[in-house]
Amino acid sequence: MKQLKHDTWVKPYMTKYKGLLTLILVLGLITFICGGALMFTSGYLISKAATKPENILLIYVPVVLVRAFGIARPTFRYLERLTSHNWVLKVTSDLRKRLYKTLAKDAAFFQQHFKTGAILGILADDLGHLQNLYLRTIFPTLISWLLYVLIVIALGFFNWFFALAIALLLAVIIFLLPLVSVAVLGARVERRKQLRHDLYTDMTDDVLGLSDWVISARQTDFLARPQPTLKAARANTLQTRRFEWRRDFLIQLLFGVIILVLMVWTNQQFTANQGLANWIAAFVLCLFPLVDAFAPVSQGVEEWPLYMTSVKRLNNLQPAVRTLPQQQTLTAPVASLDFQQVDFKYATAQALILQQFDLHITAGEKLAILGPSGTGKTTLLDLLLGELTPQAGQVTLNHIPIAALQQQRAQLIGMLDQKPFLFNTTVLNNIRLGNLQASDEAIMAALRAVELGPLMARLPAGANTVVEEAGARFSGGEQQRLALARVLIQDAPIILLDEPTVGLDPITEKALLNTIFKVLADKTVIWVTHHLQGIEHADQVIFLEQGQIAMQGTPHELYQTNARFRKLYQLDQGLV
Amino acid sequence: MIDKRLLRLSGTKKALLMLAGLTILQAFMILFQGKFLAQAIVNSWRLKALAWLYWPMLFFFSALLGRHLLNWLKNHVLDKFASQASATLRQQLLTKLFHLGPSLVAKQGTGNMVTMALEGIDQVENYMTLILNKMLNMMIIPWILLVYIFTLDRRSGWILLVVVPIVIMFMIILGFAARDKADQQYAGYQQLANHFVDALRGLATLKLLGISDQYADNVYQVSEAYRKKTMGVLRIAVLSTFALDFFTTLSIAIVAVFLGLALLNGQMALFPALATLILAPEFFQPLRDFSSDYHATLNGKNALQAVFAILELPQPQQRQALTAAPTWQANSQLTFTNVNVSYPGSNEADLAAVSFSVQGYHKIGIIGESGSGKSTLINTLGGFLQPQQGEIKVNDQVVPHLSQEQWQQNFVYLPQKPYLFHMSIAANIAFYQPDAAPAAIEKAASQAGLDDWLATLPAGLDTIIGEGARGVSGGQGQRIALARAFLDSQRRILLLDEPTAHLDIETEAALKETMMPLFDDHLVFFATHRLHWMQQMDYVFVIQQGRLVEQGTPAQLQKQQGAYVSLMTQMRGEPL
Repeated sequence: MKQLKHDTWVKPYMTKYKGLLTLILVLGLITFICGGALMFTSGYLISKAATKPENILLIYVPVVLVRAFGIARPTFRYLERLTSHNWVLKVTSDLRKRLYKTLAKDAAFFQQHFKTGAILGILADDLGHLQNLYLRTIFPTLISWLLYVLIVIALGFFNWFFALAIALLLAVIIFLLPLVSVAVLGARVERRKQLRHDLYTDMTDDVLGLSDWVISARQTDFLARPQPTLKAARANTLQTRRFEWRRDFLIQLLFGVIILVLMVWTNQQFTANQGLANWIAAFVLCLFPLVDAFAPVSQGVEEWPLYMTSVKRLNNLQPAVRTLPQQQTLTAPVASLDFQQVDFKYATAQALILQQFDLHITAGEKLAILGPSGTGKTTLLDLLLGELTPQAGQVTLNHIPIAALQQQRAQLIGMLDQKPFLFNTTVLNNIRLGNLQASDEAIMAALRAVELGPLMARLPAGANTVVEEAGARFSGGEQQRLALARVLIQDAPIILLDEPTVGLDPITEKALLNTIFKVLADKTVIWVTHHLQGIEHADQVIFLEQGQIAMQGTPHELYQTNARFRKLYQLDQGLV
Repeated sequence: MIDKRLLRLSGTKKALLMLAGLTILQAFMILFQGKFLAQAIVNSWRLKALAWLYWPMLFFFSALLGRHLLNWLKNHVLDKFASQASATLRQQLLTKLFHLGPSLVAKQGTGNMVTMALEGIDQVENYMTLILNKMLNMMIIPWILLVYIFTLDRRSGWILLVVVPIVIMFMIILGFAARDKADQQYAGYQQLANHFVDALRGLATLKLLGISDQYADNVYQVSEAYRKKTMGVLRIAVLSTFALDFFTTLSIAIVAVFLGLALLNGQMALFPALATLILAPEFFQPLRDFSSDYHATLNGKNALQAVFAILELPQPQQRQALTAAPTWQANSQLTFTNVNVSYPGSNEADLAAVSFSVQGYHKIGIIGESGSGKSTLINTLGGFLQPQQGEIKVNDQVVPHLSQEQWQQNFVYLPQKPYLFHMSIAANIAFYQPDAAPAAIEKAASQAGLDDWLATLPAGLDTIIGEGARGVSGGQGQRIALARAFLDSQRRILLLDEPTAHLDIETEAALKETMMPLFDDHLVFFATHRLHWMQQMDYVFVIQQGRLVEQGTPAQLQKQQGAYVSLMTQMRGEPL
């Protein structure tokens, strides 16, 4: 409950579509009332008929009502289900937009979650959990409470003492037992999550490490590995189920008691004359359909702790908004990019990644950055983008700090990274993201420039082909080319390349690099690479080591004068 | 309705028999519950004193108690059966996985296999729990009640009996209509459903393109489009529940009206009429329960089919056939004659008519374009794939495939990214020899060049790694896998499948220094794109489109000026 105190992800939406929400509750309520009323009028009808009234008209009203309630109940139920789904999906649209905007605002997001998609999947699932929270817990519980109040008031008209007895018995079912369920099962939800995580690890070890298990012939260990966790998970589930069975039995028992009380009461209240006695069956029978409204409350509420984890996670999303300096507009063409005495370290790390780092890049230059992994090659690109702020010194474009050009960044800097992201839409739409105003002709020209013309011609739907999830329809090299076309359409004067050929075979790699440098001939290119294939495309090469430039020069100079460069180059060429 | 193969699982029949017995008992409890309730109400209606109600009330309550106690018992029996059956199924699946090896995982996708072994089996368990119980209820309870209702009032019995096929027919028709509607929209629908996660995953790209803010509205609009489509499908899908609801409720209303008329005409007494009215909803209840969980069980049914499909795959036989090669020695021989291997589902070419013969310790480089079949050859050598045709001979013994337990004791396999288990570094190194002495593990780690890194870890060799190899770089991962080879001197064959493809050139050069000593006294098969390794090989296989087009020493191949030379030139790129 305490998680809901400062909640902004559930409560505000309850009031947002108030009219629709009220409609859902009313429809749900009427559904159950109709169910009860059907049995009520039926019970009265046959009791009355059993007294053999002379005139058939005396039972005419109950006959009509029985039919009316018989038709109304399913109709209202149908409407209630549609309305509640519609409401939940409406709220989902709002929540999705909100989650998206929250993440988009978060400056840290770009850094931390850039590469891990897992957390995003979890957050998207959280929104799915909220849907269930509404449909399975909140709505049924609210409807049962409303029905409870109505029943107690209605019985109060006849006999307050009796109404109180029923109120207490029902309260056990819809208030006490759900609370007990949460208290008992809440702790087990945590345990279940831990066990699931462990199981996932065990299974991943089994499945991903399969070749090693087979080669080592450790079949027994392979089978035994997940067993302890599976046993623990089973024990945990069994405990939960046993509690549920006991609880559900108790609920049914209580309904039995309520019916007994009802029978005693009707026997006392309605046996003064035969006219009154006709109501006995009505009162007793109408309780049965209402069991469906009250019995499932515990089950719905029991899932509460599970949902609260999601609600908590969403509420804890606090975007780290960066304060940027007064934004400026660059109108002159790009002339130079500079790192001036830049010191940079990550907040949590001890060591400086860059130390007193100086670098001057003139417009049109092709700069290659090499260095062992972990030396900060990618950090350098993030500093250039202005996604990171140096602790000392500055990164400037035409002597304007890059942080002051963030609003204009997409017009100034384009980027191609290791695994470019393609959206699950058509090729045309993907490329148009680079420039929303681009015409189809311009996009086709870009596709031809990156040498995808023949491929597009081969595809049945051409450039209207859907790329599928994460671009799965295309090979690694083709995906890079598609992303390159997007960068071309974006038409920024500075292009950053972050190991765009990693994982490609040398022939594909060579062809891709040729294309990249051909189409980017008139741009400033800063290229992070992990080996020396295609290094001849660069005007200047720098080697990063321990936050400094360890060697610098044109590829030819370095080859002539630097033994280390020469050795690496020869290795890469297969010459030694 | 139910998968026949489910009945063949051990214990199903026994559990079914037990459940059927309990369900028959339960049906009578329901019958008595209604009968004595009617009795009590009739007594009240006849204006009798409360004492007249005591016995019927006691019997009613006992029947209610018995009914729900039986439910408890049934749950217990079912849970025990379902958990045991699913545990067995999981064990069978894992055993199968072990026998089929990594090629199955590659075909199915690792995520799929992990999900199947965890959630899939859980869904199967849920399916078994739900379907068996609800199916038996539906097959037993209504019919026992119906027989009793016929003895009370023939006409009501007929009404209820006629409604059942009508309900089922309507549900089937509407079910198909909903599926058609869903199918019509399927392609676009999936795209809309996944759009949100897609947008979150692509957020970094959208930021780079400068349109992350604008895209928020797109997220909302797509979500709204999704809502409208979903509601379109739901309107029809919920209609099938509506039909069930409508016909069952209406038939109860009709029964009530006919009973009323019969009573009015003096054709029957109140007791049979009331008992019929009370039992009519109970007659339909099992059908409602079955249909409400029907969709929930579909996942389980599909999961069960997927599991059975894997269990029915043929697995390699004669895994103990090889006896002639306990360890690979200087005079050991391996011969392939016209071996064909196809690997459906991969994007590699099938191997066709591959023939070669090796004796003793050699360093064999395997080169070819990507997709030419290098990995297929390595997988065949490892026994992970079995040839369709041709002859494989080890030390003059003909074997159908290399998935031989004895053969697999002979080699160490190094893929591009060796899998690291969620265990200590020491346990990872000793994976092939869990009983290795700590001193031996330390020595192997040292030989694999891990000392520097281990020195930085507080727990050294006992550091727990794994779970996506957090904190372990690509080079370190390869060194851990190499240490396995250093540790186990019995394994004299090395199968290397592009182990350095994703490493930067300097890391690769350092790793090479470590690897070279290991290559002595070993038979090495080394598939790679990196040309410099060819300098250290004493024999080369050139593979093109699944054919072994050239083989020989590098010097011989250089002289031939054939495929080897042209491939090397293509891969090498322009010289500086």
